[in-house]
Amino acid sequence: MIGLSLLAMERFFSLLALLAGGLAITLVGARLVPVGHQFVDMIRPFRIALAWLIAAVAMAGSLYFSENANFVPCKLCWFQRIAMYPLALLLLIAALRRDEGIRRYAVPLAVVGGAVSAYHYLIEWRPSLGAGTCDITAPCTVPWFRQFGFVSLAFMALCGFAAIVALLTLGSADGANHDRSDKES
Amino acid sequence: MKPARVPLPARKKPLWLWAGMVGIIAVALGVAVWSTTGSDATVSQGTTAPNDSSSSTAETQPVTVTGTPLPAPSDSGADTAIGMTAPTLSGFNFDGTPIDITPGGNAKMVVFLAHWCPHCNNEIPVLQSWAEAGGVPPGVDIVGVSTAVNVQRDNFPPSKWMVAKEWTWPVLADSAASDAAVAYGVGGFPTFVIVGADGKVKVRFSGELPVADLDALVKQAVAA
Repeated sequence: MIGLSLLAMERFFSLLALLAGGLAITLVGARLVPVGHQFVDMIRPFRIALAWLIAAVAMAGSLYFSENANFVPCKLCWFQRIAMYPLALLLLIAALRRDEGIRRYAVPLAVVGGAVSAYHYLIEWRPSLGAGTCDITAPCTVPWFRQFGFVSLAFMALCGFAAIVALLTLGSADGANHDRSDKES
Repeated sequence: MKPARVPLPARKKPLWLWAGMVGIIAVALGVAVWSTTGSDATVSQGTTAPNDSSSSTAETQPVTVTGTPLPAPSDSGADTAIGMTAPTLSGFNFDGTPIDITPGGNAKMVVFLAHWCPHCNNEIPVLQSWAEAGGVPPGVDIVGVSTAVNVQRDNFPPSKWMVAKEWTWPVLADSAASDAAVAYGVGGFPTFVIVGADGKVKVRFSGELPVADLDALVKQAVAA
């Protein structure tokens, strides 16, 4: 990543976020129409691994912007980090173990993170819905950047959480319960 | 007896999937680099640390603080800065004209503003309309402090921003380290500090205020 401009990195992660958001929308749409079931069946076996990839890239981007670009995370950013960072580790372990039970832990985490992201994105556009004052160092209402006019860090996180939820709620391929913890108990 | 483990289904080999993922990431990176090559990233987004305003020396000026700094506001309880003598701020305007904010003499409403703060952007017109309606009590001076200057944030540079916002009162340009804001214990933007004619802090408030609340607050402070 060294050698790339900050603007290029912002655009790079913005494009990946848009792809994740597009995947979330596509998955939801594909589940609703019969012609999309084939696509869902194709993705389903790899949903945990894909969810991990999204969480890992989101975490990498988050760390790049805070540690390399010196974008100080605001309070709401920290709440989203609290939700996303554990997913990067938990989903990796679950993907390696093919542990279907992870969705019981990961989906609530991603839903909470997504809700915070949605609120964060909302107050970036409508600061009056927030606290009414700007924090002196890291105000939640002021995005560090808006790629393409609308992709901020909060929007990126929202796309990531949405894609993770969409993937993990696909269900298992054969409808059977592959919950490892259930089998081993 | 421990039940036997149920064998997991055979692992599929998703090489095509991972190759596709790597390809997508590579394409995204390529598009990002290609679309930003030659663009002026240093101006539009900034490449310096958020608090590094070395490239904006005209937008920040040295500030000398004399007296006891006000404590930062606490989340609960009364503001302990009320009744304290405000420190003296000696500095400059954006163009280098000396300006002092000295306790005593006329009462003062010191308004701390950050160019990137949306609440400051909203509040300045409120302040203007309040003043145009004759809301400023006699014997009260208004002075702005441009602080928390950040080249990476919106509305930089603040000197142009304050002209665009039609700020009509004197402005003290805070230092790169925001010495003036620290001395007044500013905890958010915008912050209003009303210093009485006796040099004591009467009111300190952070956040957007509608005209009616602003008017009531100032009149209450001046009467105190």
